[in-house]
Amino acid sequence: MKEKWRMLLTENNSAYTNMAIDRAVMITNKEKKVPPTVRFYTWAPPAISIGYFQSLEEEIDLTICKKLGIDYVRRITGGGAVFHDKELTYSIVIPESRPEIPKKIIDSYGRICGAIIKGLSNLGIESQYAPINDIISNGKKISGNAQTRKERTVLQHGTVLMDVDVDKMFSVLKVPNEKIKDKLIKDVKQRVTSVKNILNEDITFLKAADAMKLGFENEFDIELVKEKLTDEEIKLTEKFEKQIFSSKDWNHKR
Amino acid sequence: MQSKSTYKIPNGKLLKVFLEFDENKKSIKNIKITGDFFAYPEEAIESLENELKDTPLKKSNLFVKINEIIKKNKIEFIGLNAEGLTEGILRCFK
Repeated sequence: MKEKWRMLLTENNSAYTNMAIDRAVMITNKEKKVPPTVRFYTWAPPAISIGYFQSLEEEIDLTICKKLGIDYVRRITGGGAVFHDKELTYSIVIPESRPEIPKKIIDSYGRICGAIIKGLSNLGIESQYAPINDIISNGKKISGNAQTRKERTVLQHGTVLMDVDVDKMFSVLKVPNEKIKDKLIKDVKQRVTSVKNILNEDITFLKAADAMKLGFENEFDIELVKEKLTDEEIKLTEKFEKQIFSSKDWNHKR
Repeated sequence: MQSKSTYKIPNGKLLKVFLEFDENKKSIKNIKITGDFFAYPEEAIESLENELKDTPLKKSNLFVKINEIIKKNKIEFIGLNAEGLTEGILRCFK
């Protein structure tokens, strides 16, 4: 019998809810109330998340975000700004003490990315881990990942690009030098790919999530069982959403 | 006086430093260390910023002080290091 971990499918949440759920599950997992948990999710409306250490106003054009109805949120993880539009996002929460999780943080990125690489392979896409925190296919980025560890609990979340609109992305992300913006956009178009780009077809969220589920099951030799957030997690999510992720104090703190 | 730098850490991430400094004493008044790097625990970045106040803006002083703070707060950087951070701060004057 394989060990059972929990799987959550939460489509179409706001940026604040999504970040609050990841934080809530870190608490319940730390308190041993829930098993290791893998979640697949999407963002509605589209949103930009920035890394914990980034300066909000340095990275994002807030006026254009408001105009286009794009939310923005600071993550509890480091890393860069991500425009979450047509993508599948995953998160995994698991105790640091588990044998599946290498002690060295950089090694554990590679291990968890292994599940996504197997998931992509289930969709017919060959890919490799590209340290520090990317997955590439044919030399182009298809997934970005970020990890934090708090109170001996690991959270890693990351994206799988389903489709990408680089022009839209750069309408809301600030670039260091406006003069080279066109060249930068051209460069990014060369360096980024997506599931749709490679397969030439639209893959539904459920189909992609199913491929990734198998990826996690193979990588960690476990069985993922679909469940729901617990009542406590729902309460914690509401609390964190209000007190942290939708607050100006948090999002504008750097 | 205020200044800012953007510095790509060799084999690492993009560091952006916002610096407020004392012109007479040539030391740090206030610093924000931002960018797409990783640091564990994340909250330690605020300790690092606070403890860098009053540090002379000289390469040797900065490098020693940064290493001291990293050790004391048990900070683990990925995509950033003491050398790169020292360079990023000094580039505020280039």
